[in-house]
Order: sequence, then C-alpha cells, then structure tokens
Amino acid sequence: MTPPRDENGTAPRDVKRDAGVTRDLAARIAAAKRGQMGPAEADGRSSGQMSALGRGFRIGSEFAAAILVGAALGYLLDLWLGTQPWIMLVMLLFGFAAGILNVTRAVAEMNKAAQPQDGADLGRPNDEQR
Amino acid sequence: MADPNVVDPIHQFAIYDLVSFGEGGPALTNSALFMALTVAAIGGYLLWSTAPRSIVPGRAQVLSEMLYEFVANMVRGSAGKEGMKFFPFIFSLFMFVLVANLFGMVPYFFTVTSHIIVTFALAALVMAVVIGYGFFRHGPKFLKLFVPAGVPFPILFIVVPIEVISFLSRPVSLSVRLFGNMLAGHITLKVFAGFVVTLGSLGFFGVLGAILPLLMAVAITVLELMVSVVQAYVFAVLASMYINDAIHPSH
Repeated sequence: MTPPRDENGTAPRDVKRDAGVTRDLAARIAAAKRGQMGPAEADGRSSGQMSALGRGFRIGSEFAAAILVGAALGYLLDLWLGTQPWIMLVMLLFGFAAGILNVTRAVAEMNKAAQPQDGADLGRPNDEQR
Repeated sequence: MADPNVVDPIHQFAIYDLVSFGEGGPALTNSALFMALTVAAIGGYLLWSTAPRSIVPGRAQVLSEMLYEFVANMVRGSAGKEGMKFFPFIFSLFMFVLVANLFGMVPYFFTVTSHIIVTFALAALVMAVVIGYGFFRHGPKFLKLFVPAGVPFPILFIVVPIEVISFLSRPVSLSVRLFGNMLAGHITLKVFAGFVVTLGSLGFFGVLGAILPLLMAVAITVLELMVSVVQAYVFAVLASMYINDAIHPSH
C-alpha cells in the first residue's frame, strides 16, 4: 500500500521529527522566558556594562554636581535668612561630603557589577574586616 | 561662514523662531522643530518597522526588537522586575535622548540635547517620577531614603543634610553630564573644522597643514557618535537606578 499523498504529491511530514522540533522550540521559549523574568531584585548588571568613558563622566559629574547643589542651597538659605555668607560656607562643605558619598556609591555599584578577572589579586579574604 | 578668519563655534547653538504666531506670542523655534522631528522619527520608525509583526522579523523589525530587548534588560538589571512598570518611560527617555543626540551629528541639524534646559527638564521629569512614585508607594516612609538605618541620633544632623544634597544633586549631574558632553563635543568638532577652513585659505602649505585638523575632525566625529550612544545609555541607566530607589527606599 502506498502512503497517502496530499494534492501536491509530497509525502506526509515526519510526525516524530516534528514533535522533536516542537519540544525543542518549547524548551527554548521556556528558557527565553526564564531569562526575561530574571531576578526579582536589581543586580546592578547594567552599570557594569557602561563603557569606561561613561563611567568616567559619571564619577566626575556626580562629584561636581553635589558641591554645586550644596553651595546653591546654602546661598538660597542665606538670601532667605540674611546671614551671608555663613550657611553657604557650611553647605559647601556638606556638598563636598555629599560629592564624596556620591562617588563612593557610584564606584561601589561599579565594583559590584564588575567581575574580577581571572587570577586577579584581591588580597586575603576578609581583609577589610580586620 | 564666508570669512575664513571668523569661526564662531557657538553660533550653531543659537535658537531662533522659524514661525512665530504674533508679536511676543508662541513661536516654533528650531529647537522645538527638532524635538518634534525626533519624536516623529522614533514613532514613525517603530510603528513602520513593527507593522508587519512577522514571527521571522525583517531587518527593520530586528532593530526595533533589539532596542526593546536592550532597554528591557537594562531596566531589569538596574530596577528589578518591579521596575518594568516604568519600562515605557525609560524606553521613551532613552530613545529620545539617543535619537536627539544622533540627529545632532547630521550637518545643519540642531542638537536639542546641547541646551541644559532640555536635559534638565528631562532629569527633572525623572526626579518627579521618583518622588511621586516613592510617596505614592511608601507614603511618608519614602523619607527613609534620607535616613540610613543604624545611625545614632546625633549623627543624623550631619548625615541627613548630606543625603538630601546627594539626592538633589542627581538631576543636576544627570542633566549637566548630557548637556556638557553634547555641547563640548560639538564645539570641539566645529573648532577643528574651522581650523581646516582657516588653514586652507593660506595657500599651498596651508592646505597641506589643513590635513591634520581634517583628520582630527574625522576622528572626533566618530568619537562623538560613540559619545551620543554612551550618554543616552548612561542617562537611561541612571534614570532606572533612581527609580529603583523609589521602589526600595532603604539602601
């Protein structure tokens, strides 16, 4: 008995192979979905992908902006209270501190995101807890 | 630029009215025109390229899907799964800054992002979303963002102002970085291109000497293209990281 043929005269598709393809496709879709779900929490992946140029500009501008904002805030408070220039001087120092805070935060994020290179000397474990 | 000795690198940033509606009334400036063109280009391209909705995408659709995936991964990476609520916002910001920056690289086009008022408006929008969503989601607890856990009470008088300034400096650094990069890059490009014109008018040896700034201008053009993309990316990453702070105010 010859196998049934459709109107084009081709043989019916290999059902077993098709099932394999479908299963493979289903697995791939599931894998893609898993990747899409990702971790529920932010893991800082993105900041590690910034180019060196982006990171450099980021650190510089974070530092400068905090000082400017601190000084401007102090200046406005001075204008309001009529105590030129004292609050501005104090807030300038606060701005400096905030700039340092911004920079350490930015760098900590970048460090967390960056994978250490193979064979990198990271010092003894728990070195910083002594 | 008829006179080769007068090179005005700042002139390109001038804003002028193209169409004005009455004296002192609203006007369509070149800046507004290019903002509208940017939005039209983004919307038009995305709608046109995804219109076929083919399962096996064509080239244009692949580009759109790559942009989508790229921004989606970025938002997931820096704001977590919950941050995906803000994906349309971040995607719009990223595309606007990216296309506006790249438009600026086309000769005779106006660079929208080289004006601090534009970048600051974008940064202020991000901060408004962060503060608004933070209070909406956490109520007064959002203010814990400024009070780190486990700090003794007297120290708070020093730490809280520092945290507040640090928070307020974010829109400033966000906008100044983008504006500064675009402004400085375009001025540098114009200055080097101006050297070519000035040297070229000095006869044979001048033309020989003009080769050097010409090479520099080509190199800076490439650098500027890269800076355009990098700055758009940095802007979007930081916006999503700030939104992450609104979702999880305690550090």
